[in-house]
Amino acid sequence: MKVEKVEIDPISRIIGHINAISVGVKQAIKPERITVEYPRERRKLPDNFRGLILFEKDRCISCFRCAFICPANAIQMELYDNYYPSIDYSKCILCHFCVDSCPTTALKQTKIHDVAFRDLDEMVVHTDEMINPPKLVREDKITVEYKIDRELILERRKEVENLIVDVEPVERIGYHSACVNPQNCIGCALCARVCPANAISVKTEDEKRVLSIDVDKCTGCGLCVRECPTKTLSLVEVV
Amino acid sequence: MEMLEVLVEMFEMFKSNMVNIPLIQPVIDALMNIPIVNYIVALVLWKPFFAIAILPGLGGIMIVLLLMVYWERKLTARIQWRVGPLEVFRPLRGLIQPLADGFRYFFQEVIVHVDSHRPYFVQLPILTFIPVLLPILFIPAGEIVAIRSSYAIQIIVALIALIPITIIAIGWASNSRFAYIGSVREAMMYFAYEVPFVIAVLAMILMYGSGDPYVIVEKQSVPGVIMNPIAFLVFFIATLMATSRLPFEIPEADQEIAFGPFVEYSGILFGIVMTLAYEKLYIMCLLMSILFFGGWNGISIPLLGDLSPAIWLFVKAVVVMLIVALARSIYPRFRLDQALKLGWTSMLLISLVSLALAIVIRLSGWLG
Repeated sequence: MKVEKVEIDPISRIIGHINAISVGVKQAIKPERITVEYPRERRKLPDNFRGLILFEKDRCISCFRCAFICPANAIQMELYDNYYPSIDYSKCILCHFCVDSCPTTALKQTKIHDVAFRDLDEMVVHTDEMINPPKLVREDKITVEYKIDRELILERRKEVENLIVDVEPVERIGYHSACVNPQNCIGCALCARVCPANAISVKTEDEKRVLSIDVDKCTGCGLCVRECPTKTLSLVEVV
Repeated sequence: MEMLEVLVEMFEMFKSNMVNIPLIQPVIDALMNIPIVNYIVALVLWKPFFAIAILPGLGGIMIVLLLMVYWERKLTARIQWRVGPLEVFRPLRGLIQPLADGFRYFFQEVIVHVDSHRPYFVQLPILTFIPVLLPILFIPAGEIVAIRSSYAIQIIVALIALIPITIIAIGWASNSRFAYIGSVREAMMYFAYEVPFVIAVLAMILMYGSGDPYVIVEKQSVPGVIMNPIAFLVFFIATLMATSRLPFEIPEADQEIAFGPFVEYSGILFGIVMTLAYEKLYIMCLLMSILFFGGWNGISIPLLGDLSPAIWLFVKAVVVMLIVALARSIYPRFRLDQALKLGWTSMLLISLVSLALAIVIRLSGWLG
């Protein structure tokens, strides 16, 4: 089979030229620009955008869940006045598993995606920096929204978008730790050692270790349940 | 003493042939009373010097370079849904970006690579100015003219034809594969456009019956573009080819051979060779406005005096250049063989038709 030369008649060729020029002139006079003048304009991002992670100390119950779930091993718990997370942004893949796993919404998602660090060491954001994050400097005055309705339309509005998404803490079922299988206990006292709220106390009576849980102090973080080697402890609902 | 007499004689020569601008005449009169300044003022306003150094010469080229680079980038950006240069002098949307680029070229290191033919590599960008600037001697703008000749159009065309030779020489001196490909392409393009271009200019000269710009401009009560639109079409396409504007940006082809013959240049030498195409475009647009748009014909502004026709010519050339820039944003690049085929078939054919049309107009005695 031979590929034949496509014949275009001269009239449609001239019409093509005229169309091209008219589109060019139209765009030159009234351009449908699709780029954003970034520092001065900012693209409107969806609320579930996965950006920089903010931390609120008061809500944190030191349950270590963020550190356990982090697939990149970027979160380390550091001792501040209790154990709080620190994030290494050179490792962080911004998957926000930590935000999702946080039972008290102490870790918060934001739409901040333009963060600069001076070097690799600075990319490890320690707990004290997590608690007092640096101030956000913003130059943008216009928010641009991309609307796709068969064609791409850019809507420019004179407003400054709030980059920090306020998430109300989820009303969750209260839990506390309890000895459901006391016969299993071997008295290793690991639970008392790991408890971040010091709710578990172990006393030695007649060469036996007796374990008592202060239900008021217990935050229901489940660390002791995780650590217990004999499955003595379990979380139960607060009545 | 002889030296002084020569100087006085030259001063008299300058004074006898000065550009008359009523708007700044009081200032000039005041300056002419100061001993040494009057010599400089007389020299600058001496018509041949003024034509070369200010308008339509070097000053015009400077304005065109700054305006054209910005306009081309901005227009292309708008058509391609971008913003274009913006951050340098934001109140005017980045208008002085080309100036900033020029400064950058000045302070960049000029690298002369080992394989280059060193003397020619450094010399040629500067030698290239000779064929670029020589045509300006013969381009008159009303009364402002450097050399008055009744064969001015022919001389201008001949001098324009010299420019590709310098570009080929630059490519040869660079001694690199991209520069070599670029040079060969430039030579090929030269063959593609030169014959139809010369025939189109010949058609216009034949139509007006003279190669004297003054006669040509005088005879254009109706602009030449209306009298012989076919010749204009050929001239326009030849201008695009000759200055490597985008549909025919074959010798420079950024994406394929990275600026072709000029690929090895850096720093201020690159700044000089980059402007070459724009200067050529400027001269061809001046020629185009003389041949097709009535040259310096226009509403005379009494306050500007002799400057008024020069400004008209300049404005016409700049408007043509701005329109030429539009082609860059719209059309993709032709292949070399396509451009050659276009030059040697359709363009040659319609240039011959334009020649025939010119002969018909000439024989009808419409232009006297």
